[in-house]
Amino acid sequence: MQGSIMDALYNTHVKLLAFDFLSLSPNPSCPTDPSSFCRKGTPLSRAESVGVIVTRELKPGKFLRFIIDDGTGCIPCVLWLNQLTSPYFSKRNPSGVRLIAQLASKFAAQIQLGVVVRVRGKITGYRGMVQITVSDVVLERDPNAQVLHWLDCIRLARKCYDKYSKNGV
Amino acid sequence: MGTSAVSAGALVTLQELNPSSPNFKEGASFRVTGKLQDYDLETAVAVIVDGDARLNVDTKHLKLNLRSGSMYQFIGELHIEPNNEAFLRARVGRNVDGLDINLYRQSLQLLREFQAEQINTRNG
Repeated sequence: MQGSIMDALYNTHVKLLAFDFLSLSPNPSCPTDPSSFCRKGTPLSRAESVGVIVTRELKPGKFLRFIIDDGTGCIPCVLWLNQLTSPYFSKRNPSGVRLIAQLASKFAAQIQLGVVVRVRGKITGYRGMVQITVSDVVLERDPNAQVLHWLDCIRLARKCYDKYSKNGV
Repeated sequence: MGTSAVSAGALVTLQELNPSSPNFKEGASFRVTGKLQDYDLETAVAVIVDGDARLNVDTKHLKLNLRSGSMYQFIGELHIEPNNEAFLRARVGRNVDGLDINLYRQSLQLLREFQAEQINTRNG
């Protein structure tokens, strides 16, 4: 039972506060997987965060780097914008790749200093730091969205993530 | 793993930003929330209030249409002047009209308790 929940968590976008996200460590059982991290012994690969955009660095046609501040820490994020030129996408259906590229451009336009966004994506490492490689961005217009996200994170950590962690916290 | 080069704006109420509070430090980063009481177009200094507490916010780096009576949230660094008066030099700001301020305060308390509990568990 515990194993299946931990497997499910691995494929879920776990809602983590920034201070919690920043304490993730690379998964020692999968040292070759760049997208496998551990929280208290539980392997995770995807995360969701809500916060204010406090930095934005755009390399057109390549990537957008930005930082989300949720009040407990700052999460570095990267949104790739190189779908039309990267060899990684060259063997995929061109119309599908164009759609992904259009979506990424739309997300990049939404990510502006001072706005509150919800991002989802893969947990990755870059220059010794844990970050989110973003696949989904939602602009949050409700001023209570940040507060509700804090409460979601607290509830999920206590009732789910901690309960099933290997460390049994 | 490492930490970000940008400091997170620590969540505080305006009541907590007074000279006797441990938060009252030059250059410390904060996220503050309050109602706009006054705004000086020439200096771009906004005055936000929360109950009896008030704070001057330097908004010259922001592109924000400020309206008296509306609620705003700012993230920036605290600067303390020789007379011990402080102001926040805002990096970002946004209108938060519609924010449930009581829910915000209660959630802030829960968030602090949770953070302390998690950090104690890890260190213990």
